[in-house]
Amino acid sequence: MAARPSALRRSGRVLLYVVMILAAAGIMLPFAWMVISSLKMNNQVFTAPVQWIPDPVQWRNYLDIWVKADMVTWVRNTLVLSVAVTVLQVLTGSFAAYGFAKMRFPGREPLFLLYIGTIAVPWQSYMIPQFQMLSSWGLNNTLWAIMLLQAFGAFGVFLMKQYYESIPDSLSEAARLDGLSEYGIWWRIIMPLSVPALASLTIITFVSTWNDYLGPLIYLRDRELWTIQIGLQSFIGEYNAEHALIMTGSVLSVLPIALIFLLGQRYFVEGVATTGVKG
Amino acid sequence: MNRKIMSALGIAAAASLALTGCGGQDEPADADGPVTISLAGWDFASTPEFQTLADAYHEANPDVTVELKEYPAGDDYDTALTADLAAGAAPDVFIVKNLKNYITFQEGGTLLDISDVAGELDPATGGLEPMAVDGKTFAVPYRQDSWLLYYNKALFEKAGVDLPDGSWTWDDYADAAEQLTEGIGEKEVTGTYLHSWQSTVQGFALSQTPGASLDGGDFSFLAPYYERELALQDAGAQPSFATVTTNELAYQSQFGTQKAAMLPMGSWYIGTLVAEQESGAADTFEWGIAPIPQLDESTTGTENTPLTFGDPTTMGISSNIDESKIETAKDFLRFAAGPEGAAALAEIGITPALIDDAVADAIFGLEGVPQDELSRFAYTTHDTLPENPVGQKTAAIQTILGETHSAIMSESTPVDEAITEAEERVANEVG
Amino acid sequence: MTTPVVGEERTLGFAQPDTRPPLRTPRTSLKVRNALVGWTFILPNFLGFAVLTLAPVLTLFYISLTSWNIFGAAQWVGLDNFTRLVGDKSFHTALGNTFYYAALHIPITIVASLGLALLLNQKLRGAAFFRTVAFFPYITSIVAVAVVWNMLFSPEYGPINQFLSLFIGGEMPGWTVSKDWAMPAVIIVGTWKDMGYYMLLFLAGLQTVPGELHEAARIDGAGAWQRFWNVTLPCLRPTMFFVTVMVTIQSFKVFDLILVMTDGGPGQATLVLSQYIYQKGFEQFEFGYASAVAVVLFFICITVTVVQFLYNKRKEA
Repeated sequence: MAARPSALRRSGRVLLYVVMILAAAGIMLPFAWMVISSLKMNNQVFTAPVQWIPDPVQWRNYLDIWVKADMVTWVRNTLVLSVAVTVLQVLTGSFAAYGFAKMRFPGREPLFLLYIGTIAVPWQSYMIPQFQMLSSWGLNNTLWAIMLLQAFGAFGVFLMKQYYESIPDSLSEAARLDGLSEYGIWWRIIMPLSVPALASLTIITFVSTWNDYLGPLIYLRDRELWTIQIGLQSFIGEYNAEHALIMTGSVLSVLPIALIFLLGQRYFVEGVATTGVKG
Repeated sequence: MNRKIMSALGIAAAASLALTGCGGQDEPADADGPVTISLAGWDFASTPEFQTLADAYHEANPDVTVELKEYPAGDDYDTALTADLAAGAAPDVFIVKNLKNYITFQEGGTLLDISDVAGELDPATGGLEPMAVDGKTFAVPYRQDSWLLYYNKALFEKAGVDLPDGSWTWDDYADAAEQLTEGIGEKEVTGTYLHSWQSTVQGFALSQTPGASLDGGDFSFLAPYYERELALQDAGAQPSFATVTTNELAYQSQFGTQKAAMLPMGSWYIGTLVAEQESGAADTFEWGIAPIPQLDESTTGTENTPLTFGDPTTMGISSNIDESKIETAKDFLRFAAGPEGAAALAEIGITPALIDDAVADAIFGLEGVPQDELSRFAYTTHDTLPENPVGQKTAAIQTILGETHSAIMSESTPVDEAITEAEERVANEVG
Repeated sequence: MTTPVVGEERTLGFAQPDTRPPLRTPRTSLKVRNALVGWTFILPNFLGFAVLTLAPVLTLFYISLTSWNIFGAAQWVGLDNFTRLVGDKSFHTALGNTFYYAALHIPITIVASLGLALLLNQKLRGAAFFRTVAFFPYITSIVAVAVVWNMLFSPEYGPINQFLSLFIGGEMPGWTVSKDWAMPAVIIVGTWKDMGYYMLLFLAGLQTVPGELHEAARIDGAGAWQRFWNVTLPCLRPTMFFVTVMVTIQSFKVFDLILVMTDGGPGQATLVLSQYIYQKGFEQFEFGYASAVAVVLFFICITVTVVQFLYNKRKEA
């Protein structure tokens, strides 16, 4: 008697897993195609119909990309940019968000709308004035430009503010009575409780800087400054393209992020609920 | 106005940032001391022409060094160069890569008047004449590719179809494509291959139809060309537009790996095909070049000059250049667009704007280039009209016609309807 | 069932953070002090933001009133650019397409990403793996994404149509090369690409939902759906607001994806506002006019956002 519901439950679980694994396979299909293409000869990448099994398998693409191209330089530049932008965005963003979420002062809401408003303007429509400004400071063709460009966006402020608002005020209230300053509350109380949001902001900022194309395209000319995305694009020449190498580079560029994500897993699901805060 | 605000902001911040010497090593050149001029090009790894010209000029003028500034390839070149021009950070000499942007660059005052250089060039230089704006020239062509018909001799023989002899109209071409498809009889091999670009249909229609023009407001001249291409793709004599775009087919591998027996393509492909056959990226087979098929018999045959199209690639001098370097830059342009530059380019398999016998000898002296007479005729003899005639409305009209192209070729919209729509849009939006 | 749970939530102080510190100093000086402290928090970010983003954006508004062609001086033309928009058919097409995309992409993405987050927030064997998988589309290079999806959608050779033809006969959709199907195809890919990203944001938000509330509701006999509706969703409101605003803005601004997948085609079937801005600005050098389109796009986004903002405030109160 008791066995039946649990058997039902179990088969439900199994079904759920089957569905999830199928969905996962579907979602990963484009990535699988990237991996397959990275093992092909260049002329075999685009064919009709699609050729799903590389023949012959070109492992040497994974060697060539380091030898024939400046992949080391590209990875280094991309890493420098991504880390710098992420640190700045997370720090200043979460700091400013506290002001917006937990402090009361006149003009707070219009100012916040101003922040959101700039998100609503497509970058390509103001990138030229911005470029003129940064060039007049002599920052074009430097990594500084990309860092400045990306580090102070409105996105991080918005994300963190919304998260802070779901942290009960009773916590900071208690700390305030204990004599902690607002800065102390931010650093000691709020920040530790915001790990999931900080983790999300970190990974999102990191990925968007890592994969950014238009920014580096406009600002970075010298080969020593190229990022991975710009470098890979350089495989597309005027009259021919190294598609297999592009795919090799794309696979290599995705893997570190996937790895960081996989390892950083637990931080996304660890927060107010699991650190034992009671309202 | 806004530049002023920007630089005011800039001065304040630059003071605090205190960054050193960016952008300007514009030290004035001595009259006889060494001079360095900068040149914007793209993707140097696979585009050797800039280095070739720079080296050749330096050899002839040891006092002058041409320093290359690398930009990305493709359309990104224009995006990046536009940004630099807007910020006044462009190199001394730059390539006006797309003819349709020339007029905007000129009107924006980014180009120096170099009519004197143009006046000294050989009038036979391809694409030179149309560069004049109100009698003044602001950029000179140094290379000009023209569209030709490539064909695979082995596949023709296999199908038992006669090789092109220079007498073809487009109808002859269409017949051959269908016969080839049938004669070869392999599922994935087609008689011809048409790439997805709008120029592969519109470029020919514009250059070959008498009286056709972009800014005349009447695009009916496109119709017969589209009807023919649609018939070919319906007959399976070429991969459909849908297949070409969704599978990102590359013309190099379609023709290079013998999946198509014919290919209308620009003359730049000669160098690519030779290189790919040598590297093994393309199969080894015998091929040839024929004049591009014509609208009617009035321009066919080797006694006539076939009509084709191709935009020149041109070079201009930035109006931001240091005064003392102007003469040097002009001399470099004279060199690049003249016979010496042409010879240097031909040696690396690139078609210069000025095609003389020496150029043809150099090109056909390269190993792997077909040696038959028709190929040489096709390469040297043609009347090449611009795909993007210099004009203020060209860029906007080409955007509209590009949308017309994908609407027709994907068979989303019938030919006549799409053309009428394009005419209405040009009247409505470009005026 | 509804009232006790929500009531409980309110006593926990979740809904409204508006509790002032106790009055230790006179009210006005406290206000000033609060404002000062508030500004010190905002300032480091605001300085960078004001100079690097706000100033260029304001310049853009100015440019929209000029005929600037990017080179040289900008000539004032007043509202000419905006009156020209009224009669510009391509602009109307782009506007319509943008709304088409947004109207479908916004709800589908929110539902899909919230569903994923709820599923993968559970203690599930392999949850870490599945979360990573769901995030993959977002980190994969957009060019590879476009290439692969285009191939999957290929009308003649594509696996999608081959699969569909097992079940339905007749003419297959032409997807990215068909006027009618290109937009649905782009929406499918857009949702596929974005859902992992928003899932991540929802996952973070879900961590703020106290477990004891769920427990209490369960004891009261609330079913899974009721618990979701009455406990999870109210607690998730700040996150929901954030995600809704971001999805909305991102959908109206959609650009890269369409550029690489269809380039606005076939014809103008998938031409959207952002792309129209790029076309006018960088292909035809009408930066004044392109800026006017950007201003319109801005006002659309900001209107929708303000509506969401007010709605959110009313719900909070």
